[in-house]
Order: sequence, then C-alpha cells, then structure tokens
Amino acid sequence: MAEVHQSRRSVLKFLCGVIGSVGLWKYLSSAPLIPKPKLEVARKDVPPEGALVFDEQRVAVICSAGDFFALSLVCTHLGCTVRITGDELVCPCHGSRFDRTGQVLSGPAPRALVRMPLQIEGEILKVSLS
Amino acid sequence: MLNDFLKHLFPRVVLKKNLRLTYTFCLGGMALTVLLTLLLSGFLLLFHYQPHPEHAYESILALETQIYGGHYLRSLHRFASHAYLFLLFLHSLRVILTGAYRPPRQMNWWIGFTLLLLSLFTAYTGYLLPMDQLALWATQTGMNLVTELPFGQIIKGILVPDAVGESYSLLRFYVMHILVIPASIITLVALHFYRIRKDKGILPYL
Repeated sequence: MAEVHQSRRSVLKFLCGVIGSVGLWKYLSSAPLIPKPKLEVARKDVPPEGALVFDEQRVAVICSAGDFFALSLVCTHLGCTVRITGDELVCPCHGSRFDRTGQVLSGPAPRALVRMPLQIEGEILKVSLS
Repeated sequence: MLNDFLKHLFPRVVLKKNLRLTYTFCLGGMALTVLLTLLLSGFLLLFHYQPHPEHAYESILALETQIYGGHYLRSLHRFASHAYLFLLFLHSLRVILTGAYRPPRQMNWWIGFTLLLLSLFTAYTGYLLPMDQLALWATQTGMNLVTELPFGQIIKGILVPDAVGESYSLLRFYVMHILVIPASIITLVALHFYRIRKDKGILPYL
C-alpha cells in the first residue's frame, strides 16, 4: 500500500463533519414561509403627486405624473423605516436621504429604495409585500 | 462531599503579596460574582417571560407591575449585565497592563477573550427579548450589519431564520441567550480557572 499522510479514517471523519455541518445549517436556517397578503389600495385614495404611507407594512404607494409605484420604506443601509418629509424620504437612524423615486441623495445608504411589485386592477392597486 | 468540592476550589498555597487588593482589584472575581447573579436572576425571570412575539412585551409588563419582585428582579438582571460587561472590560485592561497574557498564560488569554465575545453576544441576544422598540431596531440594524461580514448571510440565516421580530427569530435569540451561550460561558469559565490554577496562580510579580 502506498504511504499516504492522511488515513482513510480521517478523510471519512472529515466528510462526515462536512455533511453534518451542512445538515445542521439547513435545519437551523429554515423557517416556514408565511405568505403575506397583498396590500390593496383604492386608486382614489392615493393623493396625486403624493404618497400614501403604510407604517406597519413599511411601504409607500406613490403617484407621480400619473404613474403609480410602491416604494419599500426599509432603508437600504441597516433596515430602519424611512420617513417621508416634504419631497424627500429621510431615515431617522443614520440620516440617509432618498428622493421621491427612491434614489439615494446622501447618507450611508448604498442602494436605492426597493420598488415593490404593484398591479393596477381597475380602481384597485395591489402591492405584493413579500 | 459538597464541602470537599467547595474546599477544592481554593488553592492550597497563596503568596501573601498576591493578596494585595491593588494588584488585581479582584476584578475577575467580581465579574464571576456578577455572572452568578445574572445566572440566578435570569433563572428566576424564566418562570414568567414568554418568548413569543405576541406575548413577550406583555409578559415583561406583567413582570414589572403584577409580579411580586418582578421589577426588582428585572432591574437586577439589567444592572448586573451592565456591571458584568464593565468589570470584564476593566479585567481585560488589568490583564493587558500586567502582562498576564504572556507565556505560559497565552491559552488563558484566548479563553478569556472568547469569554468576552460570548458575554457581549449574550447581552446582545438578551436585548431583543423584551420586544420593545429599542430592542427591535437594535436587532434589525445589528443583524443587517452582520450581513456585511464574510459568511454574513449564512450567520444571519441561522440567527434570524424568518425576520427580526417574528416568532422563529425571537425563539432563536431566546435559546441562544438562556442555553447555548451561558453553557459555553460556564464551561469556559471553569477552564479559565483551571488554567489559572495550572499556571500556579496569578502572575507573581509587582
């Protein structure tokens, strides 16, 4: 038999360790997916050139030049809820500022605010929250 | 038998000059006492705290207002946690300034440093449990920060399987705070003291 510096036993032990760790990781990181119901807004409730803010769902439905879109109010820096002040969205935690389309104006936020999928069904706007 | 166990915790011989208070200020010893206080007060709080998002805050309010000694116990636990981290900081400073990390004590320094990190992490996981605004946002920002580390997404996936403030994550933080980390801390503290005894006690100079 050739002289190898690692025994078969140690290799098998290592592989068992790897499989065990991956199994443990998958067990610990799984959680049931609770589907969130879509947020329904009446078209007329959204102020023209304005925003309708939903604090609990952390979403703002905005109407801009006749266009409707939904901005997530979760700051892309560390996850605080941004507040709408005048023409800007400001994060109270570290001072990131976004414009009304979600683009970063200043502050530590690295990316623009996420747009949530919004479907227009007649007079009802439906926003997917997951 | 208990007597013998307690007696064996004390060293057979102690150098008189090592008993001088201004050498170590008994910081490590005080940290141990505060740790015991945390374990005992935490144990008692277990009987009333409910680790589910819908009931957690209410159970804390009940502890504060309805339960005899609840306010005292909770205050004690919080104050002890501040004192613990403060004493650990001072203890680490003393160890560094007296060179007590040098050979043959390097292993003990590693054990001690790990203990410091575990203690900080216990304090952090405990912070979420009352599920008030302070707790929630501290955890939200902290866990988002973790994602910036290497393997950050994996670590966050294990600590927060659903989302911060949801039932799985609260339970996860709860288990970390009352079982996983305290068990590790107790084991390492025992090792920490074993190493001190093995290295023939506190550094015999100054």
